[in-house]
Amino acid sequence: MAIKKFAVACYDDEAVLFPAIDKVRNSGYKLHDVYTPFPVHGLDQAMGLKETDLHIAGFIYGITGTSTAVGFMSWIFTKDWPINFGGKPHFSLPAFIPITFELTVLFAAVGMVLTFCYLNQIMPGVKKHVFHPRQTDDTFVVAIELSEHTSEAEVLAFLKSTGANETNVQVAESEWWYGRFDKKEAYELS
Amino acid sequence: MNERFEISPRLRNTSLALIAVGIIALVAGLFNLKLSHDHVDQTRFWIVLLHNSVFFAMVTVASIFILAATSLAQGGWIVAYRRVPEAIGANMWLFGGIAVVVLLSIVYFFQIDGHNPIFHWVHPDGDAILEGKKAFLNPTMFTAFTVITVALWSYFGFKFRAISLAQDLAPKGKTKLYFYNMKVAALFLVVFCLTMMSTTPWLWVMSIDAHWYSTLFSWYNFASSFVSGMAMIMLWVVYLKNQGNLKIVNKEHIHDLGKFLFAFSVFWTYLWFSQFMLIWYANIPEETTYFKVRMQGPYSIIFYANFIINFIMPILILMARPSKRNYFTVTFMAMIIVFGHWLDFFQMEMPGPLGAHWHLGWYEIGIFAGFIGLFIFAVSKSLAKHSLVTSNNPLLKETIIHQS
Amino acid sequence: MHLKYESSTREPLVEGNKTYHQVTEDICKPIEQKPSRLWYIGFFFSISLLLFGVFSVFWEVYWGIGVWGINRTIGWGWDITNFVWWVGIGHAGTLISAILLLFRQGWRTGVNRAAEAMTIFAVMCAGQFPIFHMGRVWDAFYVLPYPNSRGPLWPNFNSALLWDVFAISTYFTVSLLFWYSGLVPDFATIRDRAKTNLRKRLYGLASFGWTGTAKNWQRHEALSLVLAGLSTPLVLSVHTIVSFDFATSVIPGWHTTIFPPYFVAGAIFSGFAMVQTLLIMVRKIFKLEEYITLAHIERMNKVIVLTGSIVGVAYLTELFMAWYSGVEYEQAAFKWRILGPYWWSYWAMMSCNVISPQFFWFKKLRRNVPFTFIMSIVVNIGMWFERFVIIVTSLYRDYIPGSWSYYSPTWPEVGFYLGTFGLFFTCFFLFAKYFPVIAIAEIKFILKTSGNNYKEKMAPIEEKSVEEFAHEMEHAH
Repeated sequence: MAIKKFAVACYDDEAVLFPAIDKVRNSGYKLHDVYTPFPVHGLDQAMGLKETDLHIAGFIYGITGTSTAVGFMSWIFTKDWPINFGGKPHFSLPAFIPITFELTVLFAAVGMVLTFCYLNQIMPGVKKHVFHPRQTDDTFVVAIELSEHTSEAEVLAFLKSTGANETNVQVAESEWWYGRFDKKEAYELS
Repeated sequence: MNERFEISPRLRNTSLALIAVGIIALVAGLFNLKLSHDHVDQTRFWIVLLHNSVFFAMVTVASIFILAATSLAQGGWIVAYRRVPEAIGANMWLFGGIAVVVLLSIVYFFQIDGHNPIFHWVHPDGDAILEGKKAFLNPTMFTAFTVITVALWSYFGFKFRAISLAQDLAPKGKTKLYFYNMKVAALFLVVFCLTMMSTTPWLWVMSIDAHWYSTLFSWYNFASSFVSGMAMIMLWVVYLKNQGNLKIVNKEHIHDLGKFLFAFSVFWTYLWFSQFMLIWYANIPEETTYFKVRMQGPYSIIFYANFIINFIMPILILMARPSKRNYFTVTFMAMIIVFGHWLDFFQMEMPGPLGAHWHLGWYEIGIFAGFIGLFIFAVSKSLAKHSLVTSNNPLLKETIIHQS
Repeated sequence: MHLKYESSTREPLVEGNKTYHQVTEDICKPIEQKPSRLWYIGFFFSISLLLFGVFSVFWEVYWGIGVWGINRTIGWGWDITNFVWWVGIGHAGTLISAILLLFRQGWRTGVNRAAEAMTIFAVMCAGQFPIFHMGRVWDAFYVLPYPNSRGPLWPNFNSALLWDVFAISTYFTVSLLFWYSGLVPDFATIRDRAKTNLRKRLYGLASFGWTGTAKNWQRHEALSLVLAGLSTPLVLSVHTIVSFDFATSVIPGWHTTIFPPYFVAGAIFSGFAMVQTLLIMVRKIFKLEEYITLAHIERMNKVIVLTGSIVGVAYLTELFMAWYSGVEYEQAAFKWRILGPYWWSYWAMMSCNVISPQFFWFKKLRRNVPFTFIMSIVVNIGMWFERFVIIVTSLYRDYIPGSWSYYSPTWPEVGFYLGTFGLFFTCFFLFAKYFPVIAIAEIKFILKTSGNNYKEKMAPIEEKSVEEFAHEMEHAH
């Protein structure tokens, strides 16, 4: 948790956003993040983000579910309390398949969603700074982290030159905190 | 766009060599098996021909089906290599024709001591169950269904290709043929429902075990032949790409085909499991005889191989994204899948007539090779006849920028 | 950035001259306005139905299952029929969002949110029936896999009914997660434009603090894809397992191998019909005709005629195999279905499910909204009869003629069924008022490829020759 100073540029079209991100990355300024109202394909490559490994986590959760189900049912019906059901073998694999499948999916889905929330640091009650009220509507926001030595005017002029239709400087919490969205935080200057 | 495919001498020679192997196997089989006095040998001669001809006919119709399905769903991804299923479908008459000849020969000409070892229903001889099915299982009905089915399939195979070729010559931006194609596709689906999804596998495959019945059987056959049909398309696309053709095809398109192989392998498994588990669970003797001989009898090795090749391998190898975008893995898996479903049909068809005396020897492999050779030969001829890329398809530009 | 292009042969998915902001405005409007009179009337009607349902269930729990019409021969009646019916309806939502996502069908974006909501509510309704069918509902927790009070005795994992417990609860959980993960960014949109503090706070909570960073979106897309990949076999598995309830038995008419895929096809069929019923109302009441267009309705009608025909093939296959099998019990079961005292239910099923959808072969009728609305209800009546036929008419002619029986529901059974309608529509009205009924972010995602005004601007690309276009694209990458 740290309060930092940001230069913020707002764009109204993703076609302007892509060259702007290229310019920011080449300029040497520290790109804090880009906020978009919907997923923009190719943005992660443009920003140089790594591919996410979320699906690998999903695979691992799924395998856990499979082995839990098979192991549990086999243990119960062969060791813990074997019962004869209609003359079927105690270890009747075909009859275990449906539950095994369901638990595989359940573990994978629940695990992945929890991991997703953890990685993104989102949860009910979590608050994050919103740089522009329309960044979830139609505005594409680029935030540059400013150090003490950066000249604000220079950065803002640079951002304007990339096609931003609105630029400003904001001091804000860079991470999340517990809070409410109906309250203005004291240090927000926007 | 105009892009020509020239049959390389190597491809032609390979296909001709395979056809030669097939012919040698057929001739040798004719002398060795057909003229032998051993009943099992005589049956083997015919059932292997039935196995391969039915398999290739169903694999070919899978191409026509995917054309119809993607036309109706307005699928842009397949347009880049649409000529491949079109070329396969245009050879429906050939593989369907072979199947008709083989099937009708078996029904009308093959008998040992007054009964037919493959289609027992041809001479029910007082078997009460077979007598009961006589209204459906009789040579006339069989002939009529078989001939009409193959004729319709062949017609649609030609038709889709003809529309696509006509679109090439149509003025730019005209979509009349495109929508006409959709109508033909809808009509084909009706035909497909009444043939491949119901009657055809009942008559061609299920009636080999004439006492046994399963309502799911045709859908299961469809899944098996469809995924191998997609694998065949994949093999052609990769081959053409390797030859420097199909420039607009890239990894995105390969990825999509790979997804189809993956998804429909799982779908096949789903139907396989549904049929197997319900029969296993209810444990009614009339039904379990089918799996008894396959799972616990002499065919158990094929039964498990079938499951491993057609389910475990695709799900493990094709699950990851990179493997679906890798030309080597998809080619390898496509070959595995074609072989696996060939084996699937093998285990459906052999136990009835041959019992414990099944072979996977020179004759089976030889005939399979011959069919592969003929498939390569015929499809490459069709591919070389016209441009490899459609010209005026309204979805062509979409397919160029296709993202998997 | 990829080129935003789509062939002009495809119909636009968003009509009118929309910008990103306009999309937000249009979809958020119902949430930010006071609900209309129609909404209040509908809502209170649903609540009263729900209360009647609660009373009917109370009556049954108090007096015991004997107040229902089911008897020794027909042990499963309206309760299980309604269970299967609701679960079936619950299939279209996940199908639309998952399978159509995997098949890259752009038109899903207009309808998936409402369809997924429908799924969740329908599964909630479905779940009531087996629970109260247990009779001693206070012992319902015995289905959970824990060693119970009689020693370490576990539930029977070989029983198809227990598979159902796992299948339905997994399906509900995964659908809920899938639905909610899509809702989070849209809640953030509503939060950021909220005028009142209460709304800001509630949607702030609901949106989990989502701000839409590039990395979050990247993960969000990965999550959606994997959840779609998981949900696709899940949808199939759920109705498959429901079909196993019947097909694993040895009852003629129930034990047939085609049941799993045929139940799935039927579920999709009825689910799409219910989506049509709901969306035709939603688009009218909330004036969302530009997002749920005739193109959407036509496509769903195509799915209806396709799945209706698949179901038809399955009916005929079953019928044929009953004869072909040579098993006299199978043949009798179908004879009693078609010609017995319940003949009307079989023919209601056949005409509503197989014959009537064939009208959708005509384009005029596929694009006719009132006709579609009526058809969507006809289809769901037909699908209800399908379950009734499968359940009741397979049971009512037993092996022993002495136990042959007939069955009609009593008022608590009917009340229970009506009550689930109350539950369903209460939830749906609340959803329509407080949730974005169309996925805002997803519409924006396809807007520039499939929006009407943007498609018009693609004319220059359409003019280009394919060679030129291919050449440009090769160098753009």
